Amino acid sequence: MNRLLPVVRREYLERVRSKLFVISTLLGPLLVIGITLVPGLLMQQQRGKPLRLAILDETGSLRPAAEESLRRRKAAGEGRFEVVPATAGDAASVRQRLSADVIAGRIDGFVVLPADVAQTSRAEYYGKNVSNVMDISMVDQAIEEALVGHRLTAVGLARDKIAAVTRKLDLKTVRLTSSGAREDRGGTFVLAMLLMMMLYSTVAMWGAAIMNGVIEEKTSRVVEVIVSSVPPSSLFWGKLLGVGGAGLTQFLFWALCMAMIGVYSAGMAGSQLPEVSPLLLASFVMYFLLGYFLYGAMYAAVGSAVNTQQEAQSLAFPVTMPLILAVVFFGAVMGSPDSRLSVVLSLIPFLAPLLMFLRITVLTPPAWQIALSVALMLASIALLTWLAARVYRVGILMYGKRPTFPEIVRWAREG
Amino acid sequence: MPAVTDAAIRLLGVRKAYSGHVAVEALSLDIPRGGAFGLLGPNGAGKTTTLRMVMNILRPDQGTIEILGAPSGQETRDRVGYMPEERGLYPRMVLEEQLLFFAALKGVPRAEAARRLPPWLERMGLTSWRHNKLNELSKGMQQKAQFIATVLHDPEVLILDEPLSGLDPVGVNLMRDVFVDLRRQGKTLVLSSHQMETVERLCDSIALINRGRLVLEGTVAEVKSRHGKNTVVLAYEGDGAFLGALPGVLEVSDFGRYVEVRMADGADAQAILKAASERLRVTRFEVVEPSLHDIFVERVTAEAAA
Repeated sequence: MNRLLPVVRREYLERVRSKLFVISTLLGPLLVIGITLVPGLLMQQQRGKPLRLAILDETGSLRPAAEESLRRRKAAGEGRFEVVPATAGDAASVRQRLSADVIAGRIDGFVVLPADVAQTSRAEYYGKNVSNVMDISMVDQAIEEALVGHRLTAVGLARDKIAAVTRKLDLKTVRLTSSGAREDRGGTFVLAMLLMMMLYSTVAMWGAAIMNGVIEEKTSRVVEVIVSSVPPSSLFWGKLLGVGGAGLTQFLFWALCMAMIGVYSAGMAGSQLPEVSPLLLASFVMYFLLGYFLYGAMYAAVGSAVNTQQEAQSLAFPVTMPLILAVVFFGAVMGSPDSRLSVVLSLIPFLAPLLMFLRITVLTPPAWQIALSVALMLASIALLTWLAARVYRVGILMYGKRPTFPEIVRWAREG
Repeated sequence: MPAVTDAAIRLLGVRKAYSGHVAVEALSLDIPRGGAFGLLGPNGAGKTTTLRMVMNILRPDQGTIEILGAPSGQETRDRVGYMPEERGLYPRMVLEEQLLFFAALKGVPRAEAARRLPPWLERMGLTSWRHNKLNELSKGMQQKAQFIATVLHDPEVLILDEPLSGLDPVGVNLMRDVFVDLRRQGKTLVLSSHQMETVERLCDSIALINRGRLVLEGTVAEVKSRHGKNTVVLAYEGDGAFLGALPGVLEVSDFGRYVEVRMADGADAQAILKAASERLRVTRFEVVEPSLHDIFVERVTAEAAA
């Protein structure tokens, strides 16, 4: 035990003093916020640019209402339309001219309202870009509003009543937790995504740090000197604990920052920040540690088996795979955190650090599920570290060609 | 065979094979406590493999190894310092920090190691480099740093694999002085080398190994006397081509300014001098001990012929 401490100490200090540590600790959260929010902001930016739209009205009566409806949306800041007056002429030639305008970039798109649109409810949108789903659905709503208004007038409803009759529902979403109610306008979603990205990148980052550390010791032959002093298992555990300590330091710093922001925002009236509960903070740190030990042990084993970082790439892929898989399931679990699929996925030890944590962020799962995931992870960590230590013991003193997977399995068996 | 307490390191019937080839075969060796022991042999003879097995880095396939009278364990490991052939220090770690770390691995508390370190840094000329990262040091300095890492915990036994390779002549002299000091303090030094001359003058006893097998062992004096004073150094003016054909002469090696004449056992050096002085103008004549190098070459070629 007293030989483990120098290794732990060395690993911890070397990591904490490194530039990577300082940068990722201070800038990491900013970076993650950037990655999460920038696409949204960019879309907002895009929205500022007007979308030039023409309406080809074959009914001859819907056009003013449709244009009015689009303008109203623009005035309300919801849409970004600029209605281009359509030129006169027969339908076929106007359509041809508008198509040419779209291709030439003079307008962005046009809507065709067929003569029978009031009966069939079928209209068409033509544009160069049709993947701007938000804009198109806004056009859809505006035209629909005009159409409904048109139909209601047709059955005799006074024009000034129409707005009152067709007023849209404003559904306010309030997140209920044991500690109270709080209006949520997507903040929980962003927070869940942020924290999960942080977990993902830190587990991957510290895992790679361990792997590269092992490879460095191997290539610089330090390992031979160390193993002549202490057993390989001391080096393995010292490394895992020391690097883990550095990761823990980072997470405690982040958790503290989050707690401070949480306390500060709770004091603000009408705060829209999602709630940061003690359970959330505790599980943030805990699932990092669990994930770190699970993946870190495997990364250490991979590092011991190879001679260079290039060789490590292919062997490290199966280790990184489940981590990526967890990110892939993000949407499914986020969408229905209580579904059977979500429960099962979040209990799988390799996915739990991300997915069980995600479920905790969006909706507190039953305590037994959290307990079970922790128990399963601890059992997996016990098994994997034991196996990894055996591979490590053989691997660190092996030089020469990269071992095949069956060879590594044999090391673990004979270790 | 000496009593258990006499041996610093004892190997009994040790064998180690890698896939396909045998690196060490049936090696039994007693390295006495105190003094310097040279493990000699050409490249690939099995020296490094043997030392790695002694340090428990490799496990022998057969046989047993004892250090200081016990199988290798944490307690014995702490009393041994090992400098591997391929030096191993952290390239991006600060020198002082690094040396304290390696002492801590041997169970030396930080404060104690920090107290012992300055004299060593001074002696190795590294004092002004102690706050530098290792990869900022020259090869020779790195090697000296490695030596400090080997010796800072004040081990009873030092195992040094090719300790002088890569050093400049000044560095070699410095290390020799350090070895002499350590030997005087009663430490056991085990030096491996493929350059017999450099170790010959340092060691009290030696073992020669070739292709994983022990060729000969004993004190340097024993080994030499066993091979007799059978070499004559001769310098002369004239054509000495006839020397090789003289009775009792086994071999003549021409070094340009002089020749070495190796004689058969029992041959008379005076007879050679007489024959030479009759036909040549002899400027130098000396009966010398065979060098370890010659002994080794002789034994290895004899073995290959057998």
